[in-house]
Amino acid sequence: MGYKKIFNVALGLTLIVTGVGVSCVFASDPPPEGETGSVAVRLFLTEGAVPADDPNAAVWNTIEPAEFKLAPQVHWPDRIQEVTVKSVNVRGVHNGQDMAILLEYADPSEDAADAAAVEFMVGDKMAHFAHGQEMLQVEGGDVNIWYWKKEHGKATDMTAKGFKTLRPQENQDVSASGFWRDGTWRVVFSRPLQTPDELDVQVTPGEWRNVAFAFWDGEIVDGAVKEKGSQKAVSSWWYIRAEPPPDNSIYGYVVLGIVLAAGFEFFLVRKIRRGNES
Amino acid sequence: MKGPLAKTAILLVGMYVFLKFILPLFTAPLPASLIFLYLALTFASAMIFYTMSGGGLDEFMGPVGRFLTGSGQAGIAGTARILVFILFPLLVGWQAYTRLAPSDMPPAENRTIHPAPPGEFVGLANPYPRTQENIMMGKGLYAAFCSPCHGANFDGKGPAAVGFNPPPANFSDPGTIAQLQESYLFWRIKKGGVGLPVEAMPWKSAMPRWEVELPDEWIWKIIMGEYDGAGQSPRTWEEEE
Ligand code: HEC
Repeated sequence: MGYKKIFNVALGLTLIVTGVGVSCVFASDPPPEGETGSVAVRLFLTEGAVPADDPNAAVWNTIEPAEFKLAPQVHWPDRIQEVTVKSVNVRGVHNGQDMAILLEYADPSEDAADAAAVEFMVGDKMAHFAHGQEMLQVEGGDVNIWYWKKEHGKATDMTAKGFKTLRPQENQDVSASGFWRDGTWRVVFSRPLQTPDELDVQVTPGEWRNVAFAFWDGEIVDGAVKEKGSQKAVSSWWYIRAEPPPDNSIYGYVVLGIVLAAGFEFFLVRKIRRGNES
Repeated sequence: MKGPLAKTAILLVGMYVFLKFILPLFTAPLPASLIFLYLALTFASAMIFYTMSGGGLDEFMGPVGRFLTGSGQAGIAGTARILVFILFPLLVGWQAYTRLAPSDMPPAENRTIHPAPPGEFVGLANPYPRTQENIMMGKGLYAAFCSPCHGANFDGKGPAAVGFNPPPANFSDPGTIAQLQESYLFWRIKKGGVGLPVEAMPWKSAMPRWEVELPDEWIWKIIMGEYDGAGQSPRTWEEEE
């Protein structure tokens, strides 16, 4: 009798701790790190066509931008100590087929040589943000760079893997268009989420990928373009993700959880009642 | 005892296989914590169902047991009991929801900040004497090449620091160079971010590979200037042992 009682008491304790405590234990996730600026670009899922080539489409105003700070490029020569573009606001949408990314940034003057670029890692291999430069202990992959320059009036789809390897791709899949007003550039890049080109970044809704940014102020100062080539404003890698379509299986799991918890209650009460009757 | 235990075990294994392997064929995989929550509930229910003698449980629970079975209750206690019975499953359901609701946060990163250096960079001594002249030269080189990122005050807050994730190291923080040996710094400066092993995520580091621009002599002197300017001293071999 003594052993049985102890056993029951111990079991009762365990049950209460597991049954009730378990849900509390898991209630607290560590809060995300508090950083200045954003860490990720969200490509919001929309219906209908994405506003490719339209930096002023109404949909952009409905999206909360992600903000990324930019630094003068001092990673390798030719360095620059001071740049015009200090930060960029990024918005994105996709419709399951195509995506569009809007870069909005301050630049006091509209110049022919003003330019903007978005960089992505390609495939599963990690690539260094500085043009996929060689890493010594890790085999790196390619980067895909989408480049827009005011005087070109279009995007160039490019590839790089290391120092001085940047070149336009054979298959040009990206389009871009820019609009300047009152000291602000709005440049929109667009492309299908997936392309047949293995040099391109492939965007799968729900998957996180890496993205980085670069900007050039093409103002003419003392007869020369102020920022060009490696003299630019840059960021290192941040995250980007195309929003996945809503997943209704979540509600099934919620129901399963409720049923299991109710079953636990049912068995508990029934057992105590039986005990009381006997 | 044996029969029910075996049954419980089979039930749990079956449930695990179902949640872990079969459901993901149709939906997104479940996080481990949620599988654990579901298994814990199933286990608790099964234990009650099979192994426990009700009387013992009631003795232990006393008023709690009476509360749960609702014997002789009316008014507020009765309402409270119903509330508890409704709230507990809702809490579990809510847990399931928060665990599965699509997150807007990218995956957490575990970057090793101070990975082991390659063998050839272990235990090297600074070949240059700590003279005022060498320190001054090091500080001058630091100002020219390093301060845009690591800051003129050695605090990691240079004008180019903001664009980078991870940010440039703050040398005045006792957690960086004061923890390291000079030979470790020599490796980090010479090979830069791209010299890091995979667990330190070299693709993210903006730290330049200085060997392509600076001779070793300059690097050793920069190290001297860096410690002096940051008010730190290198970790020595004696401390290591
Ligand atoms: C382009 C910006 C940049 C410049 C310029 C730069 N660094 Fe760094 N440095 C970084 C970043 C970012 C990190 C942190 C990531 C890492 O550890 O690689 C870092 C890390 C380091 C570390 C490792 C500290 C630790 O706690 O592990 C040392 C040492 C260092 N830098 C020294 C220097 C020296 C010396 C110079 C000048 C010769 C220099 N850096 C120039 C960006 C820079």
